[in-house]
Amino acid sequence: MSKTTDIQAKTRQLLNSGQVSCVIGYEVGPRGRTRPAFIYQPDDAERMVWNRSCTHNLVPYVSEKLQSIEKNIPAGETETAQQQVAVVVKPCDSRAINVLLAEKQFSRDQVYVIGVACEGIVEGAGFGREDNGNLQARCQRCSEREPVVYDMLIGEPQKVEAVDDYSDLDRLTDLTPDERVEFWLSQFDRCIRCYACRQVCPMCNCPTCLYERDDSLWVGMGIRLNEKRTFHLGRAYHLAGRCVGCNECERVCPMKIPISLLNRMLEREVEAAFGHRAGVAAVPSPLVTILDSEDGISWTS
Amino acid sequence: MDIITRDQLAALLDNLASSRTLIAPCLVEDVLLYRQVPSSAEVAWDFDLPVLSAKGALFPPTESLMTVDKVGDDGEENDVQLNLLETIFEDEQVIFGVRPCDARGFRALDALLLDTEPVDTYYARRREKTTLIGIACGQMGPSCFCTSLGGAPDDWRDVDLMLTEIEDVYAVKVVTEKGRALLGDLSLRELPGEPAEPVLNDPLPVPSDEAWTSQFDDGFWDNLAERCLSCRICAYVCPVCRCFDVRDELVPATTFCYDHYERIRCWDSCTGVNYRKIAGGHNPRSEKGQRLRNRFNCKFYYYPQQYGVIACTGCGRCIDACPVNIDITEVMEHLVITQEGASK
Repeated sequence: MSKTTDIQAKTRQLLNSGQVSCVIGYEVGPRGRTRPAFIYQPDDAERMVWNRSCTHNLVPYVSEKLQSIEKNIPAGETETAQQQVAVVVKPCDSRAINVLLAEKQFSRDQVYVIGVACEGIVEGAGFGREDNGNLQARCQRCSEREPVVYDMLIGEPQKVEAVDDYSDLDRLTDLTPDERVEFWLSQFDRCIRCYACRQVCPMCNCPTCLYERDDSLWVGMGIRLNEKRTFHLGRAYHLAGRCVGCNECERVCPMKIPISLLNRMLEREVEAAFGHRAGVAAVPSPLVTILDSEDGISWTS
Repeated sequence: MDIITRDQLAALLDNLASSRTLIAPCLVEDVLLYRQVPSSAEVAWDFDLPVLSAKGALFPPTESLMTVDKVGDDGEENDVQLNLLETIFEDEQVIFGVRPCDARGFRALDALLLDTEPVDTYYARRREKTTLIGIACGQMGPSCFCTSLGGAPDDWRDVDLMLTEIEDVYAVKVVTEKGRALLGDLSLRELPGEPAEPVLNDPLPVPSDEAWTSQFDDGFWDNLAERCLSCRICAYVCPVCRCFDVRDELVPATTFCYDHYERIRCWDSCTGVNYRKIAGGHNPRSEKGQRLRNRFNCKFYYYPQQYGVIACTGCGRCIDACPVNIDITEVMEHLVITQEGASK
């Protein structure tokens, strides 16, 4: 059986048994573009697909879906099994689940994880630009073929020899600090503050983003270089030790800002300093402080 | 037809660039954008559709409306004076390489910002100072549907000067006096014949007013919006989306000083979560489905009702830029089919 039919069968079974109310996966739209799909009825399970364009990280939809289910529970009724949603994840996406579990965004029993043994995603996926069939750069250096957390595994994970030597960062580290500033400012200059990078990110889940406050407290509203620089650098810091490298931020950027360079620079620093890789286990980033109570702050590492 | 060679055109652009702002399609890293260029050497001659429309030249992402300076403050309140200075756009500018869909976008913007009181003086000033040199598209791209909305790949009606590329020369059509003035005393060569007709896509059906109103409460909107990221790409790449926010902000100063303020307006979008939030924190469009419904209703129903033109030119940018494949043509098709089913 193909992964597609396996996912469809699992979707049907989870919905038929009433174990979950929604399965979040992938479908192919009328233009042939692969896109997120939300399945509620067993009969719709046949819309589900798995292909080499399933690039989207679907984990951000999990919290959203759980919240909307919670909002729609009639007053007086408490938890039911209906509160569980299922989600299809690749290995990189699955690490986002671990980070969110560690940050208590939802609990493990609220999400049924359909893990897929990934063989890499192609360039141009999601936009119908899969012209050359080459794997995305992040997939070429990725050796994780099995999700780190799942309830059911689809496919047989293949062993791959891939080494991430962070050589993509050489173009930055070879520069002087001044040249690096110049490089980034010229990149941020294109930003239009559409916030797609933030909206698509599983880790960008603040109810009010500090870069979008009505009172311009930390950064103004202007779509100008100063504000754009503050936004991008600030966002990168907030992802330190939390970014799982799904690279959705860079994929969705209409202005092709190489956001992954920022995130990976910090990823390497955090791994070197703390031996921490985001989401490999369900533990919070060592750079995150957790307020346990009103009495004090405990450091997590 | 009158023709101009590439070299003549380049010289004309260089000449224009020396006396005014020249905006043209150019490659910024890998991204095709309309940007101010110092000379014709920077122009991307063989270009399709820039990622962003040309609207930013008339409706910038950030525009300073006025500055406020507090002067004469020596501690005695009586001496304090506020200097308000309106920011007025003075430069003449030429946008080269405007595609017909973007030019038509300006017509749609005019309906609200110029032709409806109160006139938007900032837009009006820029509009008056801007001359558009259009270039016809030889064929429609896979996401283009301009012909469905009354436009065409060679529609010259909304530019001042229309060029149609024929191998290595351009056919020139002077549309307005402004366009003629740009050419100055340049002598154009005459060739027999006319430029070839562009290759067209099949037109799409456009939903009727009734289709929009009768399907307002349809579950379709919530289903469509489930995958929506609530980002603003679709609005920001659009040649007609023109929502903005206005705020008074402190101007970053080199010294610690609180006396210099600026009133700015910036692009905003109804797809953003907080767009419709009102005082007290209530958000009448808190659901994604409500927001997308508004976006599409605005384009095809509200805006035409209020200002007489459809707020979409069929450029297809939002289709190509949406990371989760929310497709305006799919929406149109759904509304048309549902409406047909209902009226049978």
